[in-house]
Amino acid sequence: MRVLAVQEYFGLAAKAIRFIFARPFYIGDVVQQMDSIGVESLGIVLLTGFFTGMVLALQTSVQMAQFGATMYIGRLVTASMVRELGPVLAAILVAGRVGSGIAAQIGSMRVTEQIDALNTLGVDPIKKLVVPRLVAALIMMPVLTILSDTVGIGGGNVIATAYVGIPTGLYWRTVWEQIASGGFILHYIPSDFVQGLTKPFVFGGIIAVTGCYFGINTKGGTEGVGNATTRTVVVASVMILIVDYFLTQVLLFLFG
Amino acid sequence: MTDIPPDTTGAPAPPEHEEERRALPEDDGEPRLRRAEDELRARFAEELEESEEAQERVGVSREAIVELEHISLAFDRPILEDVSLVARRGETIVIAGESGTGKSTTLKLILRLLRPDSGRVIVDGEVLNDVTYEEALVIRQKMGMVFQGAALFDSMSVFENVAFPLREHTTLSEDEIEARVREKLEFVDLEPDRVMDQLPAELSGGMKKRVGIARGMAVNPAIMLYDEPTSGLDPLTTGTITRLIMKLQRELKVTSVVVSHDIRSAFRMATKIALLAEKKIVFFGSPEDMTASQDRYVQDFLGGV
Repeated sequence: MRVLAVQEYFGLAAKAIRFIFARPFYIGDVVQQMDSIGVESLGIVLLTGFFTGMVLALQTSVQMAQFGATMYIGRLVTASMVRELGPVLAAILVAGRVGSGIAAQIGSMRVTEQIDALNTLGVDPIKKLVVPRLVAALIMMPVLTILSDTVGIGGGNVIATAYVGIPTGLYWRTVWEQIASGGFILHYIPSDFVQGLTKPFVFGGIIAVTGCYFGINTKGGTEGVGNATTRTVVVASVMILIVDYFLTQVLLFLFG
Repeated sequence: MTDIPPDTTGAPAPPEHEEERRALPEDDGEPRLRRAEDELRARFAEELEESEEAQERVGVSREAIVELEHISLAFDRPILEDVSLVARRGETIVIAGESGTGKSTTLKLILRLLRPDSGRVIVDGEVLNDVTYEEALVIRQKMGMVFQGAALFDSMSVFENVAFPLREHTTLSEDEIEARVREKLEFVDLEPDRVMDQLPAELSGGMKKRVGIARGMAVNPAIMLYDEPTSGLDPLTTGTITRLIMKLQRELKVTSVVVSHDIRSAFRMATKIALLAEKKIVFFGSPEDMTASQDRYVQDFLGGV
């Protein structure tokens, strides 16, 4: 991306965040976007979360068996799912599924002059199109992640019980031990949860803004729409992975 | 327009008066640019004199509502150079010209989707050059725009499309909105009960254009702008759309600025035609004057009629 494009990207992000708190509020659009970003992504996120949890349990059981420490499978699956894999995997899936959809929809609105039409009807396209998608993504991404984490840990439970023979009660006790070991914020909120939910919040923002940015800047007809979707998926996925690293550093510094 | 004596915007000025006004630009030492109206009058005096009397008979007011003054605009190449244009209240101006001569650009300037490099755009007394983006959104509510491809919101039904500007900018109740949508759809000769629940994708090209017109006129704007309203339509539908634009002018006294290269329908609906060529306006006057024009380019352009 060129320097100017980077500036435009963050300009759009800043404007959209500012407009979240400015009238008019398009509540109906936000709900509709929450449905298409959140509810419609549920199946794919749950499916991948479940299998990720299972494969984590399977791999750790093999490694842990060498040290006779298979009872700690729950702890490892939980640590990986809550802090890293849950947020990142869900975000990458949503970037592919939703980010591309946002870019395609807004991009085709751009090439068929519907964005100009909004402008000429006296409506700011950022307020009408970008803000509802951003708000919906900021809300739904953490929700999807919680569900993905839960199902993933559940998947670990299946493998731990079926392959390794760890009783379900023991498994879930180690899960809780892991969560508690991270410490609590304000006495009640597990620090792991705060870390695990800050990330999807940020990733949701990245997905929505990236999709909208490439959608709004679509040029060159239907081919342009195709380019916009591809770029969205690539840029959003790469950004998620890079931001994840730096965010982890910050969160570890803050919460340990 | 307040600083111009009323007689200069209306009936043709006597020749000596004309001379006086031409001398005006020098009066404070600096050569000053003429107002759009004067500029056009100076250049196309003959054409305008005759057409104005005829226009007043059909109810065109003397008051200018859209003015482009000495507009220049360039992107990677110059698009418009020193273009002046005036539309009076109730008038239908057709901006004609070959493809790529900046016709659609003039509409975008009027809507302040673009800003000129130099010159002023004045809509209903407000100079658009100085307004902010947010102010422009408000001013645009005075104008209804019909896009070349209709640009209907394809995720919304016909009803939602026409109701959209009403929901955004008015406090009408749902019943009032429905009544208004029905009224506008009937105005454009569509049966409300048949089309209201349809999606834009289910409509024919001509129907989309008509819904586009209904949406553009939903908040009863004083100005309607059309970008190639008849391009890509069959001759019958072209006739329907042309009649509609005329109906808006006749019944609602709406000012229309139409960008079109369809000179046949331009002749039917225009009170004045502006011909753009080589980044400039080469002709401005009534359709009759255009036919009578001896200008080589004008004659070439009309060659196909």
